[in-house]
Amino acid sequence: MNSETIEKDSKKKLLAAGQAAEAAREAGHDEDSEESHESSAEPMTSASHGEKAILHRPSSASMVWTLAQREIQANLNSAITYIVIAASLVVVGLYFFFYKGGFWQVDRASMARMFDSIPFALCFLTVPLFTMRSLADEKRVGTIELLITMPVKDSEVILGKFIGSLAMVALQIALLAAYPIVMFSRAPFWHLGELDWSPFWVGMLGLLLLSMAGTAIGVMWSSFTESQILSYFATMLTLVALYAIGSVSIVEFLQGWPGDAISFVSLQSRFEPFARGLIDSRAVIYFLSLTTLGLVVAFRSLESRKWS
Amino acid sequence: MSTDVMIYANGLSKRYGSFRALDDVSFEVRRGEVVGFLGPNGAGKSTTMRILTCFIAPTSGTAKVRGQDVFDDTLAVRSSLGYLPQRAPLYLEMTVYEYLRFAAKVRNIDDSLFKQRARNVVEVCGLAQSLSKEIRQLSHGYRQRVGLAQALIHDPPILILDEPTSDLDPNEKAEFLNYLKQIGKDRTVLLSTHNLKEVESACARAIIVSRGRVVADGALDEIRAKSGRVRYIVSVQESIGASAYRGTGAPPKQSDVERALSGLKGVKKVAELPTDDRAHQYAIDGDDGDDIRADIFRMVSDKGWVLLELHRDTQTLEDVFRQLTIGDERRNRQLGPVAETSNASDEDDSDDEDEDDDSDDEETAPIESKRGKR
Repeated sequence: MNSETIEKDSKKKLLAAGQAAEAAREAGHDEDSEESHESSAEPMTSASHGEKAILHRPSSASMVWTLAQREIQANLNSAITYIVIAASLVVVGLYFFFYKGGFWQVDRASMARMFDSIPFALCFLTVPLFTMRSLADEKRVGTIELLITMPVKDSEVILGKFIGSLAMVALQIALLAAYPIVMFSRAPFWHLGELDWSPFWVGMLGLLLLSMAGTAIGVMWSSFTESQILSYFATMLTLVALYAIGSVSIVEFLQGWPGDAISFVSLQSRFEPFARGLIDSRAVIYFLSLTTLGLVVAFRSLESRKWS
Repeated sequence: MSTDVMIYANGLSKRYGSFRALDDVSFEVRRGEVVGFLGPNGAGKSTTMRILTCFIAPTSGTAKVRGQDVFDDTLAVRSSLGYLPQRAPLYLEMTVYEYLRFAAKVRNIDDSLFKQRARNVVEVCGLAQSLSKEIRQLSHGYRQRVGLAQALIHDPPILILDEPTSDLDPNEKAEFLNYLKQIGKDRTVLLSTHNLKEVESACARAIIVSRGRVVADGALDEIRAKSGRVRYIVSVQESIGASAYRGTGAPPKQSDVERALSGLKGVKKVAELPTDDRAHQYAIDGDDGDDIRADIFRMVSDKGWVLLELHRDTQTLEDVFRQLTIGDERRNRQLGPVAETSNASDEDDSDDEDEDDDSDDEETAPIESKRGKR
């Protein structure tokens, strides 16, 4: 094949000239002038036969955004999204206001109690539910084949899925801001007093970081299986386990270095400073590393379809 | 390799564990060709297409699309392809318009160009009435149209279509084939199907795969001639019916006729076809070269039998297809361990068929050798 190429090299130039004319003609009647210019320039460099010119691809960022947008639209189109958001708001609200005396018992203008329950609700319900579809369903229905045979990088698919799912979780978290707004802002609402808003926003930031880690793990599990249910349970168990091992009683029971080790990896102990209004840089790095790890594994798992 | 080769596959193999889905598949498709990719279910058509579209990687071998390697230049390959996977898997919750818009965005087509292309594609695929419908509401035939529209939206030079007509009704099929002829003029199309009529009406060339191997590759006429055999249908009257028996002596027994026919020169195989009790009907396989109709007539008339029917069938594509791929189906109906010659991968294709049917041996000789003879 190679020797042939060399032999025909001189012929190639003639052919290339012919192709240029042909391409220009082709492009002339059904495409805009810019493209015809592009394609007529292409065959001149016969060695890199159309390498650049035919790469009709948007930038990576806009590709990821296109995919994420599609994901968000799909989520907004499905009834489950609304059910999940409404149900979590109700459950978290009931817990916040009424469980064991609730918010009123504290007798302080503080939202700290909100951050007791929400991380668990995210781990248990919201994150697994919003990530279970992402890749598992595409694999089950087979749409992944069409998606991946478009000029999309695997990493862009994973990032798009991640951002799409994260956007839904973030929407859920953002809706939680309704509580303090209703309770503490001035008329026409309750106006229960002056709230120190900074710790609240730090807590929200913590929730976002926690969700990023959780969503990455969810996308990872979703990339392993074709079943949404399996993906849900795997994600839920992973997150709940990571969260629950950090509970004070377990850490105290183990004492010494095992306890330290556990509180080092637990979502709960890592989130705890945020609930108090502290931005802990170690925790930020921890959540971001967990996110990266989840996404890299998901990427590898998606790539592995090629070899299996 | 000339620049005209749009799809180039060389020694593609794919294993799934111990199962060999593809075994040394090589072929080329040139610019402007419409090639039918034929084979029974599970022969490796979809696997080949998935390799060409960069969805999976081959275990060994190389494939190039437009001179670009499917493994090293995957984005370039994918952007010059339009691909319709089997059963057109689409996002069900999107409307047709949204889906096309999404496909166009991924292909980096801007709004004005999209509108223009969409109009074109919608007209071609007959989607005008369903643009605003959700894909989940569409029948399979319409989903397939959307899949096709999606594959055409960026006006690709190469189309790879995996069973594009499987869910279409006969009218839609006819329309699709017409359309395929149109787009085949300036595009390269590789289309897989079971339907041989479609191949005959739309493709000039076919590649037949069976059990992961290419068993025939060439122009349709060459493939038809490939078996090098001709079939004769002969009916001889067996008993006296309503009309008087015009033969001399008693009507022949079935075994007599069969023996006599087998004795003729140039006859390779005689098989009895089911008939009623008034006649014996046989299918005779003969050589391509000489016509034995005269001999058959002479023999029957010498014996004093009555010849009711005699005609010569040239091979249809369907016959060749069946002969080339029959082993697959037999294998499916056979329990227990199957004699597998998978370790003989370096040998000629014909070895593989031998065990299935002794008389099949010439059929699987590569078409190239036939080309040389003629």
